[in-house]
Amino acid sequence: MSFHILSEAKKIAKITLVGEIDSLSAREFQKEIEKLATGSPDELILYVENLTFISSAGLRVLIFAKQKMGTNLAIYIVKPQESVLETLEKTGLQHSVNIVDQYL
Amino acid sequence: MERKTFPGTLDSLEGIRQEVKEESQRVGLSKKATYNLLLAIDEIATNIIMHGYEENDKSGVIDLQIDHRDNQIEVTLEDDAPPFDPLQHTLPTEEFFNKPLEERPIGGMGIHLTINAVDKFRYEFANQRNRNIFVVKVGDA
Repeated sequence: MSFHILSEAKKIAKITLVGEIDSLSAREFQKEIEKLATGSPDELILYVENLTFISSAGLRVLIFAKQKMGTNLAIYIVKPQESVLETLEKTGLQHSVNIVDQYL
Repeated sequence: MERKTFPGTLDSLEGIRQEVKEESQRVGLSKKATYNLLLAIDEIATNIIMHGYEENDKSGVIDLQIDHRDNQIEVTLEDDAPPFDPLQHTLPTEEFFNKPLEERPIGGMGIHLTINAVDKFRYEFANQRNRNIFVVKVGDA
């Protein structure tokens, strides 16, 4: 019997967001995504436990991330506050990202 | 509250939210209703700054007025950009929200969030100024 081996090395990008994302701070967020996109990650992990506000400008950066990093990119949003989660739900974004309490 | 004037630039957004937040907390608006009001105001103020002023190569101000009466809080934003009624903007359809992220057009979400975030939202053009008015009942969850 021949020998088979399968191995996988996932490329993971991690960002921690603290404070408020409006149209001004969304620009910084987008620049960071652009930087990370050059490494073509498979997963983007966003730690948002201390993110207290996100406007549609911030949500558009998530859409931008998918478009820039490729459709196979898996986005994990770790521990969103209730209000942030609600905004994701109101815009249907919760279907396109993974909302988790913990990233393992 | 007295009228406060902010420069029509993106770095005013935080200050505008701060004013509205303080006043909302003072009159006892719930945490959730406050957040939604801040979101609505942020979206419209962003539109004024980016589409009203920046895209038209204009600079100007945003005047903020907050009134509390009859168990409701009313926030008014006034600006001198060309007339723009956000409600005349096409609202995203259900089809938009069902699309996967990578196929979605950028934009359209802000006004959707605004309308859903407050009890009443209206637009007027008066005295050559745009006037966006947000009303939220105090005491509602």
